[in-house]
Amino acid sequence: MSPFELSEPQTLQDAVAMLDASDTGIRPIAGGTAVMLMMKTGIFQPDRLISLRGIESRYSEVSVDDAGDLHIGAMTPLRRLEKSEEAAQAAPVIRRALRRLSNVRVRNVATLGGHLAHGDPHLDLPPVLIALGARALIVGASGERVIEIEDLFRGYLETALAPDELIAEVVVPAQGTRRATYMKHTTRSADDWPALGIAVSLELNGDEVGSARVAIGAATDTPRRLKSVEAALAGKALADETMQAAGDAAAAEAEVHSDARGSAAYKRELIRVFTRRAVRQIMEMGTGGAV
Amino acid sequence: MAGGSTTTVGHSYPRMEGRAKVTGRAEYIYNMRLPSMLHAKVHRSPISHGRILSIDTSEASAMPGVHHVITGEDVKKVLPEPYYGPAFHDQPILALDKVRHFGEPVAVVLATDPHIAETAAQRIVVDYEELPAVFDEVEALTSDVIVHEELKPAGTFADLKHLAGKRDTNIALDYHLQHGDADKAFADAEHVFEHTFRTQQTMHTPFEPMVALADVRNDHATVYSSTQGPSFVRFELARLLGWPESNVRIKTAHLGGGFGAKVYVKVEALAMALSLIAHRPVRVALTMEEQFYTITKHPSTFRIQSAVDKDGKVIGRKCEVWWNGGAYADIGPRVTQKSGFTAAGPYDIDNVAIDSYALYTNRPPAGALRGFGIPQLVWAYESHTDIIARELGIDPIAFRKQNILRNGRPQAVGTIVKDGEFEAVLDGVAERMNWNRPFDKGSGTKLRGRGVGLGFKASISPTTSSAIVSVNADGSCIVYCSTVDMGQGSDTAMAQIASEVLDIPIEKIRVVNPDTDVTPYDMSTLGSRSTFHMGHAVRLAAGDARDKLHAMAEEVGMPEGSNAPLPELFIRKFGMRAGAIVGSANYIPEFSPPNYDTGQSTNATPFWMIGATGAEVEVDTETGQLTILRLVNVCDIGTPINPIVVETQISGAAVMQLGFTLTENMVIENGQLTNPSLADYKIPGFFDMPDTMENGYIDAVQENGPFGAKGAGESGTFGVSPAIANAIDDAVGVRISEMPITAEAVFRALREKQGKPLEEN
Ligand SMILES: Cc1cc2nc3c(=O)[nH]c(=O)nc-3n(C[C@H](O)[C@H](O)[C@H](O)COP(=O)(O)OP(=O)(O)OC[C@H]3O[C@@H](n4cnc5c(N)ncnc54)[C@H](O)[C@@H]3O)c2cc1C
Repeated sequence: MSPFELSEPQTLQDAVAMLDASDTGIRPIAGGTAVMLMMKTGIFQPDRLISLRGIESRYSEVSVDDAGDLHIGAMTPLRRLEKSEEAAQAAPVIRRALRRLSNVRVRNVATLGGHLAHGDPHLDLPPVLIALGARALIVGASGERVIEIEDLFRGYLETALAPDELIAEVVVPAQGTRRATYMKHTTRSADDWPALGIAVSLELNGDEVGSARVAIGAATDTPRRLKSVEAALAGKALADETMQAAGDAAAAEAEVHSDARGSAAYKRELIRVFTRRAVRQIMEMGTGGAV
Repeated sequence: MAGGSTTTVGHSYPRMEGRAKVTGRAEYIYNMRLPSMLHAKVHRSPISHGRILSIDTSEASAMPGVHHVITGEDVKKVLPEPYYGPAFHDQPILALDKVRHFGEPVAVVLATDPHIAETAAQRIVVDYEELPAVFDEVEALTSDVIVHEELKPAGTFADLKHLAGKRDTNIALDYHLQHGDADKAFADAEHVFEHTFRTQQTMHTPFEPMVALADVRNDHATVYSSTQGPSFVRFELARLLGWPESNVRIKTAHLGGGFGAKVYVKVEALAMALSLIAHRPVRVALTMEEQFYTITKHPSTFRIQSAVDKDGKVIGRKCEVWWNGGAYADIGPRVTQKSGFTAAGPYDIDNVAIDSYALYTNRPPAGALRGFGIPQLVWAYESHTDIIARELGIDPIAFRKQNILRNGRPQAVGTIVKDGEFEAVLDGVAERMNWNRPFDKGSGTKLRGRGVGLGFKASISPTTSSAIVSVNADGSCIVYCSTVDMGQGSDTAMAQIASEVLDIPIEKIRVVNPDTDVTPYDMSTLGSRSTFHMGHAVRLAAGDARDKLHAMAEEVGMPEGSNAPLPELFIRKFGMRAGAIVGSANYIPEFSPPNYDTGQSTNATPFWMIGATGAEVEVDTETGQLTILRLVNVCDIGTPINPIVVETQISGAAVMQLGFTLTENMVIENGQLTNPSLADYKIPGFFDMPDTMENGYIDAVQENGPFGAKGAGESGTFGVSPAIANAIDDAVGVRISEMPITAEAVFRALREKQGKPLEEN
């Protein structure tokens, strides 16, 4: 690892000002868990890192507004998000997903902003946030914009963020009566990065599915929605055949590749099984009442 | 000498270094810095096999802050024969002429700043003529690719004196054992079985990576190293330098794990050569990643055949084992031979033929790793044994008991078994698993099964340990021995033994960290030999001191059996609190070397280590995913010196083997290691632990052991892998014959069985 400069701005605006759209040797650093790994392996050799640790504390907070939307500051450590009662009330799936995300040591320092901006497909929260319909507030030199999380990911370690833009906040809209679940599957050690993540959010009308949002992570190039699965669920009875059809649709739609976590053929089977299981789990929550 | 009532030995004393370790105060070599030292960073080969055409160091040398850029040729100028190794002198300190594995050290940059050294090391440009490479051990046997044109046996160890290697082949050692007439047994057999099993390449993953700091000045070399074998490192460096051993000093501290990775020479020769050239102290500290290129566990292929009579008695076994030793032999030939002779398993089989081959390939070198080849063998013979039992419709435990080796019977090597409680260990597992009670096999997509595995190991022999015990005038005591405490609790055990013999409270005993100028010779800390060998040496040295104290008491006129405190005795003798009473001893057990042609020996080992594991697993039939519901490990470790330490050795060994069984795998694609980091080489974490785990040992006495004890560091590894594979077979009726056992492998086997094989991609 080579030496580099470290800047510690005190405001988000100052941090943005220190970034440079034309210089990829300058990068923000939040928890540093991903940046340090890239630096260690030599994939990334920064000249200058802009630490976001000193920026306004409101970017590390979790709150719910009057409309019931959940606001998560980009600098919120994953562990704080996991412990947040507001988040657990608004979307209990977030806490459940976090409990199996890496380990406590990583969650203590890794932030939500870094987690999303990293653009690694093998992360747990992107499919969860996509299924919940979340959006990110982006701040750049030329002002603010809002982007749906589902539109954030462009490729391996590539996002829709410009080099001089920062994620300031993530907003999860009020979920109303929707119920969501996330299935993480690892094929190597239990605390590995996922080989597959499936997030499903359903609106249930009695024994029928109203609308569905289904997202996949880790097995595909980027986290994304699986629209054929959503179509296979919407308006259908919550029965075995529906779950089966959802699983089959997922296996057919998701484009997967062989890698160290498994062959493409195996991953397709996992997608089939875990999509079905995810839907079943929501159905069981539905009848059991617990979320 | 076993049994009887002891006051210190046999009690669960807390580790002497425990508090320092958990409070972050323990000293490790990795944290050490020497005044004015230089940092070394290694430039490694990106190819597996090739001739070095040229090395361009100009850009690296020109970098500000770089002191030296050193190649193999530079080393040769100061050390004319710069090759090392315990079995063959085949490993160059830095590559000369050829590279033989990816990751091989080719050149080194020395700088005061390690970051500069690292950047400069990347700027060295090496031109290679790439040669075809061989990676598979079975192919290596007949391949045209020859890894070493010339073979240079080291001739160091008594048990490896006959090593020669075979010119123009990749065979470093072929070991053959003939016991009875195997061919005839197969001709007479009612049933014949044949299976082949394979294991993958894995790494020790000590959390303190290999590190050596060398300070060579004038005619003295001091090397601080995280080594398991300071005496051997001294011997080897003195040989390279052509100096007496008294001019070479090796010092260690507590090791952050070793597991066999840090035996023999690893980075010490390089550090020494660099300091010799630079005239400055030099620190060579590997990263976790670099350890993957340094030493590994042998991949292996094992073809095993059994001849069984109509009553289910195994009457013959043929074993062919190919050990993938990588590019340098390290201690692989001993693995091939020592572990080789137990390849037929812990069974009483009259007719056995074993052929065991140590092969050179173009992978990183393989050497000793907790179990020393035994886990690879047990994987095969206990999977095979289970398949036979199932096919014959005999209960797997009953089948094993019908064939088990018992005391008084000859093991295949020709040595009569003594103090080897094979059956009791197997019974111990069966009992804890309630083997004879009905077992819930699960339902739907979650099916359950259980299985066992039983393995054993001979101790390395003949080897020597020496110890000095010094009693101070205040009645406290210092133990000097070169056994390295790398987490296994040996300091505590040695202190307990000295305490017991001298009747000095353990709180007043200190065990010195190995330092070859201070602590006397020990073969090495390996193969679970220390409790037995060094335990005896410390016991004898303490006894020697005790006898001298008795003589001194007599001399000063104290009545026999007087319980006057020790300080009193010293004051009477020396007129004040002064003087020291020093006891010393060498210990070497009896041994008879094996016959080269038949492999037979009447006394091949001072003791047998025995371990069995029982596993209960649940298989998710829709994904192949495994849950280990229960893991039971039972060993024969003789009588424990420290019961709690023994239990943690058994659990630690079993968990380590669990990683090798399920997740750990050095993946090599197109001649490159694709996962040399803990991000992608997965050791088990807390959530990979079995839902319940029980570790225990049976009541036993090793009659020739110190206080009835014998080694306990590896036995917990033996049975784990086959127990899990056998449990999977029991649960879902599929057989996995290649490690690691991944969920995908199980799933593919399930689909195969259903007649719907999963496509490759
Ligand atoms: C050992 C280990 C295991 C892991 N296992 C898992 C796992 O199982 N599941 C999982 O989901 N994740 C896992 N992770 C990944 C972890 O979740 C990410 O590393 C983490 O979320 C990144 O957060 P960070 O704050 O540390 O980001 P950093 O490393 O600081 O930054 C990551 C990237 O985001 C950029 N960045 C940071 N903050 C912002 C911002 N506000 N705006 C714009 N760009 C920004 C940085 O420039 C960098 O490119 C693991 C990580 C480690 C080290």
